[in-house]
Amino acid sequence: MRYSPALIDHFRNPRNAGMMRDPDGVGEGEYRECMDLVRFHLRVRQGRVLEARFQAYGCGPTIATASAATEIAAGASLADLLEVPAEAVEAAVGGLPEARRHAAEVAVQGLRAAARDALGRAATRSEADA
Amino acid sequence: MNRTVYLDHNASTPVHPEVVGAMLPYFGERFGNPSSVHGFGREAREGLETAREQVAHFLRVGKEEIVFTSGGTESDNMAIKGVAMARRQGHIITTRIEHHAVLRAVQYLETLGFGATYLDVDGHGMVDPDALRRAIRPDTILITMMHANSEIGTIQPARALGAIAREHGIPFHMDAVQTFGKVPIDLDAFHIDLLSFSGHKIYGPKGVAGLYIRKGTKMVSVQHGGEHERRRRAGTENVAGIVGLGKAVEIRGRDMAEEGVRLVGLRERLWEGLRCRVPEVRLNGHPTERVPGTLNVCFRHVESESIVLGLDLKGIGVSAGSACTSGNVEPSYVLVAMGVPLDWAMGAVRHSLGRSTTAEDIDYVIDCTEPLVAKLRAAMPARA
Repeated sequence: MRYSPALIDHFRNPRNAGMMRDPDGVGEGEYRECMDLVRFHLRVRQGRVLEARFQAYGCGPTIATASAATEIAAGASLADLLEVPAEAVEAAVGGLPEARRHAAEVAVQGLRAAARDALGRAATRSEADA
Repeated sequence: MNRTVYLDHNASTPVHPEVVGAMLPYFGERFGNPSSVHGFGREAREGLETAREQVAHFLRVGKEEIVFTSGGTESDNMAIKGVAMARRQGHIITTRIEHHAVLRAVQYLETLGFGATYLDVDGHGMVDPDALRRAIRPDTILITMMHANSEIGTIQPARALGAIAREHGIPFHMDAVQTFGKVPIDLDAFHIDLLSFSGHKIYGPKGVAGLYIRKGTKMVSVQHGGEHERRRRAGTENVAGIVGLGKAVEIRGRDMAEEGVRLVGLRERLWEGLRCRVPEVRLNGHPTERVPGTLNVCFRHVESESIVLGLDLKGIGVSAGSACTSGNVEPSYVLVAMGVPLDWAMGAVRHSLGRSTTAEDIDYVIDCTEPLVAKLRAAMPARA
């Protein structure tokens, strides 16, 4: 299996690995066939992601794409994250071999879920404040 | 750091320099076809027959009982299909943990109407001789099983299994690809009628292997063509490769015992290091009845391939116990058959040591594995 230098770099030096205290949004992506599981924690300010952190169980590409996804998320609006395409994550790790393309899907699935969760929490807070 | 450590000798081994030296003339001046009657052919034939003598001497059998093939897979197919086709119908006994060369050959025969029983193994990957005895039917025509499993290295009780086969007059085929040249094999004491072995697992070249066929074993050819290998395997022989295999076997006869002791020491050093420094690690396979250089371990809650990739980035070559192909991760069927729980089986890693492995290599692997597993676990989400 040949992996790009960018993927290897993310695997070797994962960005933003770990959990977050009191996150504003949490979401998971899962690929049952491989038992892959990726979880994102988001810190959100005024509808934009201030910080994203990840936890991942899976093969090297799953860890690398989760790491790259946190960089994509940082600074993005929640609305944009709801639409983030798998191609963006795949491009950020310099491409994926055919048999590992699910890694990018798992990452965006997790990011979108985290964005949805953050938007839901924000809506609940607004209702409570009103 | 540019250090490299190869711990995947069960997959393949580097060709021994003496083997390369023995093979080289057969790519050049001794290029003839061993079936030709002229001097060029006779020269090639001489190399071929010397190799046959080397193998026969090592196994303490007659040279006419050795057939050369293109690989362990061909040897297994030749043995299993050759015996089955000679009888046209019947029942075959094998195990759940065989190499695919055996499993799929038996499964193919099932599609032709042959019956098959796949024996279970215990938690160490060991076949119970009593289970073999119970599985034998009046129409059982073949017992085929591996001497040692390539993933976990557990060595089967060949003597007891062979005795049961002989008692019932059933041909006994042993796939010895992982043990030939590594541990002693006594064909008579184990009552083995057919034995598969391969070159590239013992510092010989790839693409060459062999099958021992005990004199009098009833079987037919599965590959048809010329009169090669006493009409048992058609096709011009891979002379250079066979010469290399012969030399590799000769060297194993010289080095096997001493190297086995050394590798057991290194294997235990690796296990002790991993066991003491990495939490939640377990040994797969029999604690003592194991191929000297094989250590298969599971790191709980870590995915094998991420460990293999992480170690690869440190210059270390090991093998993953679970395989991710076409987007599906399959835990090793061998570990599943042994009853290893899934959360452990997904983190299986096989280390297979060889003649170039040193104590420094082992310490380096331990030093690299400890922080890698810790890092992977730190980034791992708890499952709901």
